[in-house]
Amino acid sequence: MMPSPARIFSVLAREALADALRRRLVLAIAVTSLLSLQAVNSCTSCGSARFVRDGQVVEMPQVAGMGALVVMIACALWTLLLAGFLASDHLAEPLEDGSAALLLARPVGRGRFALARLAGALAIALASGAVLLLATAWLLHARQGLVWWPVLPAFAACAAGAATVGALAMLASLYLPRIATVLLVMMGVAGIAAVNVAGLFGAELGSLAAAVQSFGPPLVSPVALALHDWIAPTAVPGDALTLALRQIAWMLASAAALVHAFRRAELD
Amino acid sequence: MLILELAAVSKRYGDRTALDGVSLGIPPGAALGLLGPNGAGKSTTLRLLLGFIRASQGQVSLRGRSPLDPASRAGVAYLPERLALPARMTVRAFLRLHGTLAGLSGSDLAREIDAVLERTGLGGRADDRLGGLSKGLAQRVGFAQALLGEPELLLLDEPTSGLDPLGVRDARDWILAARARGASVLVSSHVLSEVERTCDHVAILNEGRVAAQGPLGELLRPGESLEDAFVRNVRA
Repeated sequence: MMPSPARIFSVLAREALADALRRRLVLAIAVTSLLSLQAVNSCTSCGSARFVRDGQVVEMPQVAGMGALVVMIACALWTLLLAGFLASDHLAEPLEDGSAALLLARPVGRGRFALARLAGALAIALASGAVLLLATAWLLHARQGLVWWPVLPAFAACAAGAATVGALAMLASLYLPRIATVLLVMMGVAGIAAVNVAGLFGAELGSLAAAVQSFGPPLVSPVALALHDWIAPTAVPGDALTLALRQIAWMLASAAALVHAFRRAELD
Repeated sequence: MLILELAAVSKRYGDRTALDGVSLGIPPGAALGLLGPNGAGKSTTLRLLLGFIRASQGQVSLRGRSPLDPASRAGVAYLPERLALPARMTVRAFLRLHGTLAGLSGSDLAREIDAVLERTGLGGRADDRLGGLSKGLAQRVGFAQALLGEPELLLLDEPTSGLDPLGVRDARDWILAARARGASVLVSSHVLSEVERTCDHVAILNEGRVAAQGPLGELLRPGESLEDAFVRNVRA
């Protein structure tokens, strides 16, 4: 009579994805992704320029590598923001309009329901991010001769960051109105990204920024670190293993916080 | 064992007391009509039973378990008062989703969906989007999802809301058919005549307390209608 927990999760996650796909917003995301790809196409088409910096000729692959890193970080930021934006109402909306009540009246655990909704929102954000990152990597490989494979760990890092941002946005949406949640996501992602980028360039950070850089969710740093081959011999600061572990810890902790808060929530 | 039970349950929202020491239960196969004026605590009772909210005091159990345990809701179907259906979904997709969560799969699921569509008069509407349905048809969809998989307990909050007279009669038939196969039913309603026709037990809530409860026959004084008994208990 009662379906298995795995079946319940897969049914709910599929429904959450279908629900996200039925929204008109997805069309806007697809159009924006295509426009971004067009911009990337334009950015990566420069193939034979000669650059001089401080009287020194800088070779094209190195310039291309730095440019590619910037483009990839922009694509990763888009994915992170999209995950937060979609998650900010993917759980709150069905709770608010009452459509979640019928599903939660079934033998469905609250935690499973929240994680399925998160998976639905993330699937859209990650699909858009995958298209952008992979297409950009392919263009850079074809036009600038950069190796393409570092995009895989970069995408994995981006996905883990998106899961963290999505879970935290969904958690915030249980307590805040949508607009406040979206603003919080935008400010949070932008702030952490700025700290991460400043850290990459060796800038001196204030105490709060240094704490965020040392203990906060690493959003941009792991992406940059995964792509460090592209700007060699310039080194990207940071230890890949430590960053990966911290990223996984943040992802799990934010998902656990979401599940805990949703289990405690009173659904009126 | 009672299929659902509230034992000395209170629910407070800040200073406001929505339920105050409520005790009631349904034996398997019985049908309880939950009556009361607006704000008496009927919907709060249903939300407690489904684990949507927690009791401030007392014990709630559904099929012998805490309502916070998802397993307590296996074999339970719910029709809320404020039925919100996902507008962009089709009727069939909606029923497939709920049928799957009710434990149906494969050909059983398809057969059950077709049967319930026919029974609720939605046979020709299976591929319509839920957002395009009238209130009455949406309520039929709500009933259809509740009847999927032959649940052993039906929790119905104002089940005839939005239905035309034919729909009200159909709803009564669906409830009686569920009872005939042994299901337990809890109906929260303002329509006393429907409760009188479909339930064998009644509980009257007033200002968060049980004003009266018991088998319908014992609750009514000689020559008294349910409406008379309701008014007598609420105004007492």
